[in-house]
Amino acid sequence: MPGSSLLHRANPLTKLAGLVWIISAATVLPAAGDALLILGGFALALLTGIGPGVLKRLVITLTPLAIALCVVHGLLIPRAGNVFIGPLAVSLAGLAFGVTILVRLAAILTGSLLFVMTTHPGDLLKALDARGAPPAVSYLIASPLLLLTPLAARAGDIRDAQRARGLDLTGSWKARVSALPMLLIPLVALALTDLDHRVLVLNGRAFQSGRRRTVLDPPADSAKQQWFRRIAIALAVLQLGLLLRWH
Amino acid sequence: MKLETRTLILISVAVVINIVGGQTVHLLKLPVYLDSIGTMLVGVLAGPLPGGVAGLLTNIIWAIIINPIAAAFAPVACVIGLLSGLLARAGWFTTWWQAAIAGAIIAIPSTMIGVPIIVYLFGGVTGGGPDFAAAYMLAVGSSLLKSVGLTNLGVNVIDKVVTALIVWNITSRLPLRLTTKFGFFVHAKA
Repeated sequence: MPGSSLLHRANPLTKLAGLVWIISAATVLPAAGDALLILGGFALALLTGIGPGVLKRLVITLTPLAIALCVVHGLLIPRAGNVFIGPLAVSLAGLAFGVTILVRLAAILTGSLLFVMTTHPGDLLKALDARGAPPAVSYLIASPLLLLTPLAARAGDIRDAQRARGLDLTGSWKARVSALPMLLIPLVALALTDLDHRVLVLNGRAFQSGRRRTVLDPPADSAKQQWFRRIAIALAVLQLGLLLRWH
Repeated sequence: MKLETRTLILISVAVVINIVGGQTVHLLKLPVYLDSIGTMLVGVLAGPLPGGVAGLLTNIIWAIIINPIAAAFAPVACVIGLLSGLLARAGWFTTWWQAAIAGAIIAIPSTMIGVPIIVYLFGGVTGGGPDFAAAYMLAVGSSLLKSVGLTNLGVNVIDKVVTALIVWNITSRLPLRLTTKFGFFVHAKA
């Protein structure tokens, strides 16, 4: 999402280091700590103008998980100390376990969304190139993101064309299973026919040349951000190390 | 190990095939994922290492653009790509029935890696269709690990067998001018 906040302007590698720390902290902390991470992350999302987007993605992703966790751990797994609500025996310990899992996932998801929604893939690639990452790494991250929209459009065209020829996409499960190869095989075949052309274009630009590339407009970086990255990664490793030591 | 430009492009195309293929299946409301077609395709055409990279990358890209939870299953996708390449090298993608068996074989280790992730990281649920089957097994007295394990094994076997058959179908129809440039594919030719 476009924006000009401090988080939008931060170097993508700094945000990535922050995300690594959040994942590590969410794994180590108890539910109350994870809840604080969510609150902090959501406050940051509101300040950067991406609050509604983050909330929407959190709700869409976590609602099915929350329902499944409540049913599985609250109702189906036998534990001591059940509370009866009508005919249902609800396990409070099970629900507490479900909530622990849910807040941990929500904390990780909030951190991921803060990174994803304030970082353009192109800026991440520039940051990687500026740090001397091999061209293959940058290509493997950038190319699928750039190919996705045209290939999804092709899939839509194939679907429309096959439907115009009478393919049933909404009928019985037998009809839908039969429709599957009619949609997938042309899509894959089309995607593969472009290979030769792409190879020629990339080799013509000396794509795999071993020379380090110069980035004309690398994302801004600073000594403070470099120190933040070092501390975040060191803390993440230390936290996970302590977790392993105590278990 | 440095990957050839052709292989790198195949991997990036495969990642998109995985994502768009998965969305197509979702649209048809079928109880399978079919989000590894590209990964298996890379394994069969280019070998185990490119296949593993394609699987790993698919889940990372999926996590970036659609659902960050997909990143947790990146090791599973990586193993699917690696095993596809190894089985293709052993000649198990030469005929349709061999491809079907290869799919069933791939389903077993991918379940063995996926189930601990589901149980210990997600509390045994994924928010998807298989949760209903796992909930039923829990209700009739199975343990959480057994319920999730058996449910996922069943879904994975069907999913990977269908995926392997689609990959065999596609690779057996690809023009020679395309397949001859992938030296590894000689292992999967009849």
